[in-house]
Amino acid sequence: MSETAADTASAPLPSGPRLSTLTRPLRPLALLLRRAAILLLLLVAVFLAVDLLPGDAATATGERGESVEERRRLLGLDQPVWQRLWEWLSGLPHGDLGTSARGEPVTDLLATPFPNTLLLSGLALALTVAVALVLGCRAALRRGGPFDRVVSLTSTMAIALPEFVISVGLLLTLSLWTGWLPATTMTGADGSITSWSMLVMPVLALAIPQIGWNTRIVRAALADQAALPHVAAAHLDGLAPTRVLLRHTLPGALPTIATGLATSTGMLLGGAVVVESLFNYPGVGTVLSGAIANRDTPVIVGAAACTGAAVTLVILLADLTRARAVGGRS
Amino acid sequence: MTATPPPTHRRSDLRRALVLAAPAVLLGLLTLCGPLLAPEAEGTPVTAPYAEPGGGAPLGGDLLGRDVLSRVLHGGGPLIGSALVIALAVTLLATLIGCLAALRPGLGRAIERTTDFAILLPPLLGVMLLALAWPGGGRAAVVAAAVVLGTPYATRIVAGAAAPFATTGFVESAIANGEGILHLAFREILPNLRSTVIALFGLRFVEGVYIASMAGFLQLGPQPPAADWALMVKENAPGILLNPWAVIAPSIAISVLAVSVNLATAALARNRPLSERTVTA
Repeated sequence: MSETAADTASAPLPSGPRLSTLTRPLRPLALLLRRAAILLLLLVAVFLAVDLLPGDAATATGERGESVEERRRLLGLDQPVWQRLWEWLSGLPHGDLGTSARGEPVTDLLATPFPNTLLLSGLALALTVAVALVLGCRAALRRGGPFDRVVSLTSTMAIALPEFVISVGLLLTLSLWTGWLPATTMTGADGSITSWSMLVMPVLALAIPQIGWNTRIVRAALADQAALPHVAAAHLDGLAPTRVLLRHTLPGALPTIATGLATSTGMLLGGAVVVESLFNYPGVGTVLSGAIANRDTPVIVGAAACTGAAVTLVILLADLTRARAVGGRS
Repeated sequence: MTATPPPTHRRSDLRRALVLAAPAVLLGLLTLCGPLLAPEAEGTPVTAPYAEPGGGAPLGGDLLGRDVLSRVLHGGGPLIGSALVIALAVTLLATLIGCLAALRPGLGRAIERTTDFAILLPPLLGVMLLALAWPGGGRAAVVAAAVVLGTPYATRIVAGAAAPFATTGFVESAIANGEGILHLAFREILPNLRSTVIALFGLRFVEGVYIASMAGFLQLGPQPPAADWALMVKENAPGILLNPWAVIAPSIAISVLAVSVNLATAALARNRPLSERTVTA
């Protein structure tokens, strides 16, 4: 699963040489523009892909007594695709994601579920960062030791498991057999989650495979750094192994680690769709499955836009970490 | 990227990988003969809905009272088949394009751009889009989506592994001999990438199991009356209190399959962990 996804943002910024000629304050701006351009391209591609596919919202949501042609005109689907694309894109800057096939503004449809999904994936990402760093660093301190071997084995196993299989394991152990946690999510009248304990299992189910993946990256990145002369010099100076790890090895490994985490973000948001449905969590997954059945282009593209923007943000942070670490030598 | 060609994997690694892959192979054989071994038909109710294990149903009944054991035996073939097709297609395409990309920097850059772009679309969202785009496509749509979305990343791995070979003496001499790009890619570079390609196949198989089962869980591929491990988890989850085995059995089957292949792949690539290296590169 994620292994492949993680290769991506690792691209040693292809525009590196060009960027290095810019003055330093401008570099973050250039990175921002580059990522924004990629995001925009993706949105256009998704919009066109959904549009070119057979069937449209008019046939999927048409009500009785209303012809498909009328419905299509009502939804504006008789306009040429370029015009619709332009209208949709020009609404983006003021937070207008268009109107769904059922006539509700997409922004309203996503307003409650998307923050819920962000909360779920955000917590899972935070947990991933913390656990992967601790496990990876400890494993790297004694390479080949018993702790390292156990961590390698368990992380390789964790990566391979689909989130719903992990969810089933968690449900059985933490809820049904021990009764520690509630099995489903209850929501209040305003669509918010009523108790924090309901977040524990969904967050764990999302985080476990990503912890496995990122622990391996942390460990590999630290091993690469450990082979460099300045780390050997620090060891020869007689510094304590922990100090060498934290002050000399880890800083150089940060760009790689940040890249791994950025790619995990996409996996977390994707896995959330499945985990949400299993735990009845009120997130974007529920909206998305309904929208896909209705072939509701604006909603699907809107959800893809929000997800893409969230991933872009994390990748941008990874870019900045890399730019900072490489300094003027990019 | 190091300039030294990767070490070929040792014999002990290969043996280790075979031992680790054994559970998955056994499971595969079991699903092949499964329909013959199953005590009951996959579609007919034989006991009460969510009946506990006992009597004629060793693992109890599912939501309609169908025999869970028989459905588990029936439900693996198509899932494993989809994963195999995904893994084969992606590995083949990635190997072909990756070897060419090592010789043509322009193609290599184009692949980097594509992966940059594809990362913003979570794989599952992409599969949802493509699978629903093709109404009635079922498993074929899921497989097609997984191949389209998986190939760019896999290609990058092959291109990365092939790059050091593009500047070796034997390739230079083949260029001097006036060999064409196809000869260079497939006769000179490809034979050196055996371990990379085998490990890539393992990784893609695990990814294939992931995508096929996630799609099955979301009911994008197989449709309800069919027996499918992922779909069984989805269908029987509401009755997990009454007969947990209806959920546990298919979950264990998927876990054994994915974990065993992933461990075998990791053992094979132990000297040169593929995926992590590419991130660092």
